[in-house]
Amino acid sequence: MPSLEQLQKIWNLSDTVLYPEAVAFIRRLVNEQECSPLPTSQVMGLLNIANARSYGELERFIRHQRERDWQESKKDIKTLYTELEKLLTTMKNRRLKDEFHLLREGLSSREARQESDELMAMLSREFIQHLVAENGLLALGQARRK
Amino acid sequence: MNIEMQIIREVNIQAENFYDDAIGFGNHAAYALRKEHRSQLTGLENIANSALKVADILDYIKRQTARSKESEGWRQSFPQAANQREAFGPALLRYLEEELHKKHNSIARRLGIGDQTDEDRQLRRSIYLHLIRQFVRQMVIQYEYWLTVGNGKKGA
Repeated sequence: MPSLEQLQKIWNLSDTVLYPEAVAFIRRLVNEQECSPLPTSQVMGLLNIANARSYGELERFIRHQRERDWQESKKDIKTLYTELEKLLTTMKNRRLKDEFHLLREGLSSREARQESDELMAMLSREFIQHLVAENGLLALGQARRK
Repeated sequence: MNIEMQIIREVNIQAENFYDDAIGFGNHAAYALRKEHRSQLTGLENIANSALKVADILDYIKRQTARSKESEGWRQSFPQAANQREAFGPALLRYLEEELHKKHNSIARRLGIGDQTDEDRQLRRSIYLHLIRQFVRQMVIQYEYWLTVGNGKKGA
């Protein structure tokens, strides 16, 4: 269970780092790489997993969606999950400790792994919620253009 | 005076300055959401009052906008607005993200709050949340007033 100090840091990060990065992430895919916004069924699935499950299960879900053999018209979904997997992997392997300074010192490797998973579950939930909210606006913009 | 009290004092001063803007948004809300969608605006006020993060409030506005039908509700523009083509949701989002963001920065500067330590960032988040709460409160009061007095053709 994260400490109050860690929670405060996560709330700060959510506003100042995760929110702008989630907005930039989905805008880059839709506006620059010309991907379609994530369809509602995918949004619901991703949100449900992010809100209710452990980080390990979220990782498995994203990997599964990325590895699926999507038909040509749905290749953008594969692109999104590929990029999301990369981003979360970097966050877990590097940023969590070096940039966010969220991991406590002096934990055993098992405790550190557990803490890392708990923190990543919270950070990824924040990131995905921001991503999904912006995705909804981008979907409106795309529907208007069609 | 402790720092929390100083923040509240500064936010109250700023609230006087953005009162006219909040009135404009309250009128826009009444025109666009009418009585039927009151719960969406009170929902925003509840989120603003209970949120621990500014982003939760912004996400709520985005979700409501995305759920609205074309040219209705949060996607409804307002003939009396400065930008007559801008819909309620996007206009409110822009105001909170740009105007209140600037105000929160200037309050932080005045109170000598930096942005390097966790404590500073926490205080900045608190300033921003207080500003949004004040703004939304003023906006919702005007929304209720407009609906009661009946200023708008659609809001009456």
